[in-house]
Amino acid sequence: MPDRKIVIQKPALTPFNVVAGIIVAVGLIITVIRFTQGLRATTNLSDYNPWGIWIGFDLLVGVALAAGGYVTSAACYIFGLKRFHSAVRPAILTGFLGYALVVLALHYDVGRPWRLPYPFIVQQGTTSLLFEVAACVALYLTVLFIEFTPAALEWLGLKRARSIVAKLTLVLTIFGVVLSTLHQSSLGALFLIAPSKLHPLWYSPYLALYFFVSSIIAGLSMVIFEGSLAHKHFHDKMDAEHLREADGVALGFAKAASWVLAGYFIIKVIGIAQTNAWNYLGSGYGLWFLVEMLGFVLLPCYFYAIGAREKNLKIIRRTAAWTVLGIVVNRFNVGMIAFNYHLPSSERYFPHWMEIGISVFVVTIGILAYKFIVTHMPILYAHPDYDAH
Amino acid sequence: MENVIYTLHDFMLRTESLTYILIVAALCGFIFFWRFLSERDDGRDHLGADRPGGHHR
Repeated sequence: MPDRKIVIQKPALTPFNVVAGIIVAVGLIITVIRFTQGLRATTNLSDYNPWGIWIGFDLLVGVALAAGGYVTSAACYIFGLKRFHSAVRPAILTGFLGYALVVLALHYDVGRPWRLPYPFIVQQGTTSLLFEVAACVALYLTVLFIEFTPAALEWLGLKRARSIVAKLTLVLTIFGVVLSTLHQSSLGALFLIAPSKLHPLWYSPYLALYFFVSSIIAGLSMVIFEGSLAHKHFHDKMDAEHLREADGVALGFAKAASWVLAGYFIIKVIGIAQTNAWNYLGSGYGLWFLVEMLGFVLLPCYFYAIGAREKNLKIIRRTAAWTVLGIVVNRFNVGMIAFNYHLPSSERYFPHWMEIGISVFVVTIGILAYKFIVTHMPILYAHPDYDAH
Repeated sequence: MENVIYTLHDFMLRTESLTYILIVAALCGFIFFWRFLSERDDGRDHLGADRPGGHHR
């Protein structure tokens, strides 16, 4: 545990705090406009484009990048790779905050957010994929909250409650993997209902599989990316175990990510072969598809492999950031760019500045919450009064 | 090469044949990729941790 007796007073008006403060202030103003004047005043959504960046970015990207929680806890507790133990709490925290922010963003996107619990209490809609997504996200957010509570309970000094929750770790991990498998794939399956709206290069009967496999890539990359940021900005909060294991986590996850990226590339090519969509590769959309496949799948696959082979952490960390960007590109493509591709440009969707403002606001809230929790709770160090669970 | 597909049978024959070839090629390719990933890992397990009794180059 780091020596916390030395207290250094940092100035409150740092550039980070000023920028974050401005974003939060603007976000709160847009929030008032959104909930007093409705979606029309704050978004460019229409009947053609009912899902904008609040779904394409906040939900699809948010859920994918929050996959580090189930990937890391499965590696540690189910596959027994205990040397990744120090990465579990940061990954669970990122996952929990990611899903919490997804639900927060949904309140902006859904026309009548107070009806969000309706799938569970008014009509069951059990044949709907959206019901399955709603049920899994709600349950998984609960699971992540419980998985996160040991850190909060250690911070609060509630030893008895902490020991009870710690005993649930394996059960919660299994629940987490099952629920994640279900809803990560179902988010892709949502687009199966619109085969004529999604460009043939992105549409595939395997969309559910693509979303699930790419979520594993997102999870692995996000853990490396977040680990490198934590190493840079919260180095003083990390104990010896975290510092010692950090390189091993990055190397192991890079190797796994390289392997999964190779598999993902193959199943994407097989998807094109199955739908015989080769002739679209020569079009403008085809070139963009090739940019995604070669630049954001094959390239990081190669650099992860080189990084893991040469034990080069600099390459691995840069590749992780690039892969995270690739996940954003993929979800944007499926959710917005290749969706409604047949519409004239005048009917295509481009987000309103207030939509972008809310997305930036939501991400900023997440960063501030992460900073607060990491600064106060035992996330990057083991609390000396408790055994590892 | 004749590129016109007249029947569903033609379509399935072409796409499934190509898919089978791709799968076999991918499985063979994975062996070489795995060797590329792991050939410097003497003394380490498949995710880079030290193996008991192993040695490093």
